[in-house]
Amino acid sequence: MASEDEISLLVIVLDVNPIWWGQQAQREDEFTLSKCMDAVMVMANAHLVMSRTNKLAIIASHCQESHFLYPSKHWKAGDSCGDDSSSAGGDGKYEVLSVANKLISEEIRSLMARTEVKGHQTDTLMAGSLAKALCYIHRISKEIEGKVVIKAAEDCALQYMNFMNVIFAAQKQNVLIDACVLDSDSGLLQQMGLLLELCGIYLVSDLSCR
Amino acid sequence: MSPGTAMAALSEEVLLVVKRVRQRKQDGTLYLMAERIAWGPEGKDRFTVSHLYADIRCQKISPDGKAKIQLQLVLHTGESTTFHFANESSSLKDRDATKELLQQLLPKFKKKANKELEEKNRMLQEDPVLFQLYKDLVVSQVISAEEFWANRLNMSSVDHAVSNNRQEVGISAAFLADIRPQTDGCNGLRYNLTADIIESIFRTYPAVKQKYNENVPENLTEKEFWTRFFQSHYFHRDRISTGTQDIFSECAKQDEKGLKCMVVQGVKNPMVDLLSLEDKTLDEGYGSSTAQSTSSSKQSLKENSNSAIIKRFNHHSSMVLAAGLRKVKLQEAIEYDDLQKDCRPRMVALNLKKSDRYSHGPIPLQSQHYSTTQDIINSINFIQHEMASYKPCLTQVMSSSAASSAIAALSPGGILMLTGVQQTINQLVPNDVQGELKHLYSAAGELLRHFWSCFPVNTPFLEEKVVKMKSNLERFQVTKLRPFQEKIQRQYLSSNLTGHLEEMLQAAYNKFHAWQTRRMMKKT
Repeated sequence: MASEDEISLLVIVLDVNPIWWGQQAQREDEFTLSKCMDAVMVMANAHLVMSRTNKLAIIASHCQESHFLYPSKHWKAGDSCGDDSSSAGGDGKYEVLSVANKLISEEIRSLMARTEVKGHQTDTLMAGSLAKALCYIHRISKEIEGKVVIKAAEDCALQYMNFMNVIFAAQKQNVLIDACVLDSDSGLLQQMGLLLELCGIYLVSDLSCR
Repeated sequence: MSPGTAMAALSEEVLLVVKRVRQRKQDGTLYLMAERIAWGPEGKDRFTVSHLYADIRCQKISPDGKAKIQLQLVLHTGESTTFHFANESSSLKDRDATKELLQQLLPKFKKKANKELEEKNRMLQEDPVLFQLYKDLVVSQVISAEEFWANRLNMSSVDHAVSNNRQEVGISAAFLADIRPQTDGCNGLRYNLTADIIESIFRTYPAVKQKYNENVPENLTEKEFWTRFFQSHYFHRDRISTGTQDIFSECAKQDEKGLKCMVVQGVKNPMVDLLSLEDKTLDEGYGSSTAQSTSSSKQSLKENSNSAIIKRFNHHSSMVLAAGLRKVKLQEAIEYDDLQKDCRPRMVALNLKKSDRYSHGPIPLQSQHYSTTQDIINSINFIQHEMASYKPCLTQVMSSSAASSAIAALSPGGILMLTGVQQTINQLVPNDVQGELKHLYSAAGELLRHFWSCFPVNTPFLEEKVVKMKSNLERFQVTKLRPFQEKIQRQYLSSNLTGHLEEMLQAAYNKFHAWQTRRMMKKT
């Protein structure tokens, strides 16, 4: 349990490349974006429950944009959470969690809905998302926070320089980055882990075992 | 010299023989020779006690009035030997004669041995690591003290020059005032001069030292010299040189000469040169013509005495400054580092071939997935469809078995936590064991250094030494390393703390065997 003064911020960057996830879902039914979202939400809930002062941010890394799923721009504190009593207080859950889950699911739905088909933009804007995450951290700017990067698709060569810049910026800010790569090996994240000793854990989860 | 030397084989000069001297309740005879003192029991042919004067730290005598008349010799090592002078008629005379002879002889030999021993003691006191090494190696008799000091004192003789430059204790400016004379009772003064005071006087007034060397002991005794010194006007404040009978009047003249010299040389350190701080102007509006200081010969008496005091003061100050000048680093005082141009260390320019490779990173060898446009459209549609009806269903995320196995893997001792064990070896091993290990390492390192420095073995001395060092290493292993290993085994410390030490020793043994076999082959 963290001490009272420490505010621990967890930023999750989730790769939601619709093309990759769509192909993935077609390939095997077991592991879909929904399931991944659920898992991410469980982790987010766990983090929020650990301490009252813990903070959370989730960024969806899309091929067209990097979007904050949480905290949402549309959400104002004390605003709509009291209205819909069924969703919030229905099961006696810790309110923060229910609010967060609701928001996240709304946001991801709207994000996916507004995806447009553009042939040449198929790569996840990972570097941009990381940069946004760092800026957010810098804005909140308390002690050392943890950050999780979940990457799904393959590395994109074009973003290499940007990615490296972001990594070095993170190192300067003393931000920890953990990476979880699904399915394929990410040379980029490995390099990041080895060179900069930032990575907490580097896991390659084999989707078939799910 | 070993104590068992036969008396007959002596070729040393015997300075004094004292009969009827008892040692440890045995009657015998005491012999004082050129370099040592020895005692042999009555009727026997050998010395049982023999000490070099160099080994004797001091002698002590029993107080006057005690029935037993004794003389004790205390050695540097702390041992002491007591002689009881038992000749009924002449015991006191004997003892005193012995004492006086020793008093003359001991100082001659004292300096040499003492200094070395002092040096060794100092080194041991100053360096706790060295002291520990000494304890580990010499006290437990792994190597002999001579071997231990063989290398060390060599190193220190180089440092000796450096250490001699260590700061000498300064003399207080008022020390002469502290030599307060005591009244003698009959209109005389009694000065109490110690060796320290004499040294201080010599250091402050080198001219006096010179006079001392010239006149004592040929012309004057010490006592007479100092009497004259304190009587001289040189010492007193007036310093106006009257009659030339005073041997010290020359000193005054010498001092003046010296002072003039220094003034001519000018002050080297511009920091302290007060003259240079003046504004130098030439005439009105331009600069100044250097004003000549006129030395008028018509100085009044009062001025004369004032100038004498000021001269003495200046002389003293100039000597103080001369001593300090060496230490002042002028450069440091004048230059400001940050105002200067940046002298960055010369760096090697980065020479990149194919620099464009750095802009896009390593490209994986496997072929990229090429998706057709139709694929893309399909995928996007699929996912949009899926996510449109997305509702979080958090209870299905993980089965409890998966969760518990993940927790187990991440607990201490779990599969994913094994790297942690090695990191905490520092905390697993208790501090005293760590300390012992460190001592073992430094002791082993010392021995190994001696051993390896013998190679290449090209002199018979080195041959002997390498054999000796090998046996030293073996002895070290048996007496120090094995017990330590057994101890930590008993304490269930599973980690192999001494593996590396053993490797090092084994490497030394291998080298020794290789050398030995080569040597045998050469001989056959």
